[in-house]
Amino acid sequence: MALVTVKNLSYTYPDPNGRGGACSSRIVSDKDGVHSDDRHRALSDINLSIECGEFITLMGATGSGKSTLLRLFKPELRQNGELEGEILLSVGKATLSHRTSVSGDSLLAGSGSPLVLRTFPQRGYLRKGSLGAVDITEAVSSMVGYVAQDLEEQIVTDKVWHELAFTLENLGMRRQDIARRVAEIASYFGIDRWMERDTATLSGGEKQLLNLAAVMIADPELLLLDEPTAQLDPIAATRLIETVYRLNRETGVTVLLCEHRCEELFPLSDRIVILDGGRVAFDDTPRKVAQMIGRDSDYSAFLPTAARLFHLVTRSAQINYAIPQSPLTHVSGDSLLAGSGSPSVTARRLPNGEHLYQREPEIPLSVREGQRFVGSLQIKETASDHADPPLTEEALTLKNIRFRYERRGADILRDLDLTVYRGEVFALLGANGAGKSTAAAVAAGLRKPYAGTVKLFGKSLKDYKNGTLYKENLSLLPQDAESVFLCETVGEELKGCDTVMQNLPFDLSPLYDRHPYDISGGERQLVALCKALSTKPRLLIMDEPSKGLDANRKALLLEVIRRLQHDGVTILLITHDVEFAALCADRCALFAQGRIAAVDRTDRFMTDNRFYTTAASRITRRFVDGAYTVALAAERFSTDGGAV
Amino acid sequence: MRVIENPRLRAILRYGIPFVLIPALVALSAIVFEGQRYLIISLGIAVLALLLFMTGFEKRNIGARRMVITAIMTALAVFGRFIPLFKPITAICVMTAIYLGAEAGFFCGSLSVLISNIWFGQGPWTPFQMLGFGLIGLIAGYLSRVLLKSNLLLLLYGVIAGVAYSFLMDVWTVLWYAGGFDWKLYTAALLSALPFTALYAVSNVVFLLILRKPVGNKLNRIKIKYGV
Amino acid sequence: MRFEQLNPFTVAVYYLCVLGIIMFSMNPLLLCIALLTSVLSAVIGGTADKKAHLFSLAVFLIAAVLNPLFVHKGMTPLFFLNDNPITLEATVYGLCAAGMLTAALYRLRDLSKVMTSDRVLYLFGRFSPQIALLLSMAIRYTALLRVRWRKISDSQRALGLFDDGNLIDAVRGRARVLSILITWTLENGIVTAESMESRGYGTGRRTSYAVYRVHKYDAVLMIVCILLTALSAVGIYFSKAEFYPVLSMNLLNPWGIAGAAAFTVLSVLPLIINGKEAIRWRWLLSKI
Repeated sequence: MALVTVKNLSYTYPDPNGRGGACSSRIVSDKDGVHSDDRHRALSDINLSIECGEFITLMGATGSGKSTLLRLFKPELRQNGELEGEILLSVGKATLSHRTSVSGDSLLAGSGSPLVLRTFPQRGYLRKGSLGAVDITEAVSSMVGYVAQDLEEQIVTDKVWHELAFTLENLGMRRQDIARRVAEIASYFGIDRWMERDTATLSGGEKQLLNLAAVMIADPELLLLDEPTAQLDPIAATRLIETVYRLNRETGVTVLLCEHRCEELFPLSDRIVILDGGRVAFDDTPRKVAQMIGRDSDYSAFLPTAARLFHLVTRSAQINYAIPQSPLTHVSGDSLLAGSGSPSVTARRLPNGEHLYQREPEIPLSVREGQRFVGSLQIKETASDHADPPLTEEALTLKNIRFRYERRGADILRDLDLTVYRGEVFALLGANGAGKSTAAAVAAGLRKPYAGTVKLFGKSLKDYKNGTLYKENLSLLPQDAESVFLCETVGEELKGCDTVMQNLPFDLSPLYDRHPYDISGGERQLVALCKALSTKPRLLIMDEPSKGLDANRKALLLEVIRRLQHDGVTILLITHDVEFAALCADRCALFAQGRIAAVDRTDRFMTDNRFYTTAASRITRRFVDGAYTVALAAERFSTDGGAV
Repeated sequence: MRVIENPRLRAILRYGIPFVLIPALVALSAIVFEGQRYLIISLGIAVLALLLFMTGFEKRNIGARRMVITAIMTALAVFGRFIPLFKPITAICVMTAIYLGAEAGFFCGSLSVLISNIWFGQGPWTPFQMLGFGLIGLIAGYLSRVLLKSNLLLLLYGVIAGVAYSFLMDVWTVLWYAGGFDWKLYTAALLSALPFTALYAVSNVVFLLILRKPVGNKLNRIKIKYGV
Repeated sequence: MRFEQLNPFTVAVYYLCVLGIIMFSMNPLLLCIALLTSVLSAVIGGTADKKAHLFSLAVFLIAAVLNPLFVHKGMTPLFFLNDNPITLEATVYGLCAAGMLTAALYRLRDLSKVMTSDRVLYLFGRFSPQIALLLSMAIRYTALLRVRWRKISDSQRALGLFDDGNLIDAVRGRARVLSILITWTLENGIVTAESMESRGYGTGRRTSYAVYRVHKYDAVLMIVCILLTALSAVGIYFSKAEFYPVLSMNLLNPWGIAGAAAFTVLSVLPLIINGKEAIRWRWLLSKI
């Protein structure tokens, strides 16, 4: 029996200002929002079945209803929406049905179908003698684990060990049992070394690992993760995903994961489900989904680099070798060639009506497979070495900067030298905790270095008197957008930003009546950006602007950066998102150990780096130079005849 | 929030403290110590009173949401104690109490003292301070209807709370130092503490004035958002 | 096991005993011992720096002077100040009170160093799991608020909205930061609440877990503490120490001496435990 069965599920939020992303994403385009006629219907007609032990990745743009769907599997998190259809959870040895007729949302069936409790699981933390009367919520809360995207806010207590024990304390477990489980889980997750630490001192990656451990300690059968890596740097994100994967393989926990991070997840997942506008758009194995999503599809942003490259190269080949009339039909394995598995079979109907079956090369999902695929292609020679852009006037100069937070502490910045030229987009890349944000704070004059000089447009920071530094010269977009919101509506917040907003490719006016905390995280970031731009800076420092954004929002941000650059604003981008930097930066620098380890033009930077570079570059590096984005890579390769 | 889970113990404490333990302590002080050891007696009474108030909260569970808000307000009060001279702790306790009830006010006051004393130093004064701020919160919670309506009464409450707290703590200072109560020393202590008392009352008023509207709005919104 | 590593309950009982005797005895002999041993513990334990010692000295001097200046009870005037007699009795009492205050302050400083947040939580967790949780959450939020305060003032400054130029601007700037801080923390607290709910908070009876264990050693020490305290109390009971109207002391009777000896042992108990530990380690090392 399936662990979770969802039948004809629809879900509607009570009012348009309610929680959830579905109703708050109409500013960019209608594509990633929901249909305009039923605006706050978050989910419609969902059918889904999850088997025990599956690893499923749920994808979709912001507002596609992923979070809403995920939260419905966790009755404690249900909101006052209207639910139609049926969710059947059979965790433990019990089956909990969550079904309602038309209105109201209740765990117990509203229309006569009672909660099925066959045998209750005999586990230590369910008290004996209460078989019939066990609180359903208690049962589900230990069977279904839920990890959200916020790192800090999910932590409840002040010490790491207490955070782990908290879950079991709630279940009324005895002390010696808690001790054992805490020790077990700490060893498994490798957090035993920092058990005594304060939770506030943990790094982002450690926080999220702790959140995961604190959920897993209750030994759930279904693990729900709502964009768990959105706030993490790539290294920590990969580590977290690997941990989840390891849990899935070694303990058999069923995983349902919402993510934008397709690069790692496509090769790992058993199934990919893509939601669009509250409906299931795709639901199949990663390879099939990757195949079904074509080159021009709206969904190509969900694919990993290797698969996108594959589509770009093979489709252009097929256009070149024009196969007339009928488009390609993908036939699923079971209907045409039963059990043919992964190498996909393409049926091409010839003009005479016969079918021609061809084996297409398997669509690559990982970098390794991508390299194998690229190795089978022909390289097109395109001599296009761009000339170095003229970089003359210095906008920001940091010279021999040394900085530490405490008198006796270690240096965070050690002889940092950095020059940003006027009009360029400069990306400062590096791992979290390397001191990038500190460097930004020093550059913005918020921290005083104990040695070295900072010059802005040829003038020392000290010489900007009476706050002129932050008027029409320099502005900083902070990492946490929350830190700029003072007012009770977005409209008040954006007072005086009208001229700035006219020039930006989005319209925030529909949000004017809303409270800044009632809009989505991505929208909050746009509001913060407007505020940062309202002082008309000549240099804008952006601290992790792409964090937690989906593909559409990233594209929007890219457009904003291009426009600003066009208007002559110099941009210093502090980021750990290599893929994003590759798309918008003129020059990149790798920051490590408190100083800059390498700085170069983006194409050379990406080509010369072996590990810290884009997936496209890692795929193509051994064959060609300078193909560091999918588009560039696609220009350099061609198939020799469609099929291999 | 039910502080003590065992119902029998709770009942014993609820009736035992006011009717047995406190009279016993007073009798002890009169008979054994011959009216000499006021300090130990007052300390005992303070601890018992704290316990009594805590056992008074009957509702089993205040729920995760209320718990989070109370914890945040408590942390804000602790954070406020680090501000030199002007301390918003009373204002924050009062705001918590009138928007979230007497129970939250009591815990905000008493626990914020306990936590901040981890840094400022624990001592025999801790129970007195906990009782003092706890009561400021508790009473404000009971008066919440009046205090919400009238701004003037709210400010007056701030002044009274400030002065009363100072007087109470000076009693304790004198008791500790002199071993018994002495009017002259008490007057001296009050006079020497006068600038602090004044500063304290003024900062209560100032912070209540500043925080009343914005924090009130925020708490109202949060109550709706959290559904508490 | 070092003294600080004992179960917090044992540590609390120890300090309750020592502080109880220091604060309530008003026995000159015991107070002398208390003052000496507290300074000794602070020096050996390294809990007080130079500034702290100077502060204690100031407290001692002020407290010693205050009593004779304000209290004019007693039969033996030393001299007159503004027509008020400064009496021997009040002076001696003042010295005793000053000794008591100073010794208590030293001990309380030690106590505060030992009673870190997790130990306070442990003690309250025994009493009430609910309060322990609320305390734990509040402590976490205190740390979080400090980090966020800094983030907010940075971003406000960079937006040109926070000026330290003059007092009014500084106050206004801080009020802005505080307002943002409150909103940010309260609004996002819902995630914490949901995290608690989804991890089963409020569904049943809570237990309270702690990393501290009660060893046999703890029980033995606790009994030793209480016995020594009882002996000291008996000593205090039998040694008369009256200040007013005339000094009348009978400190050196057998019970009084026994009590003083017991109190001395009690006062240096942590030093003995830690010393024993140090010797054992040295011995172990020499064996290796």
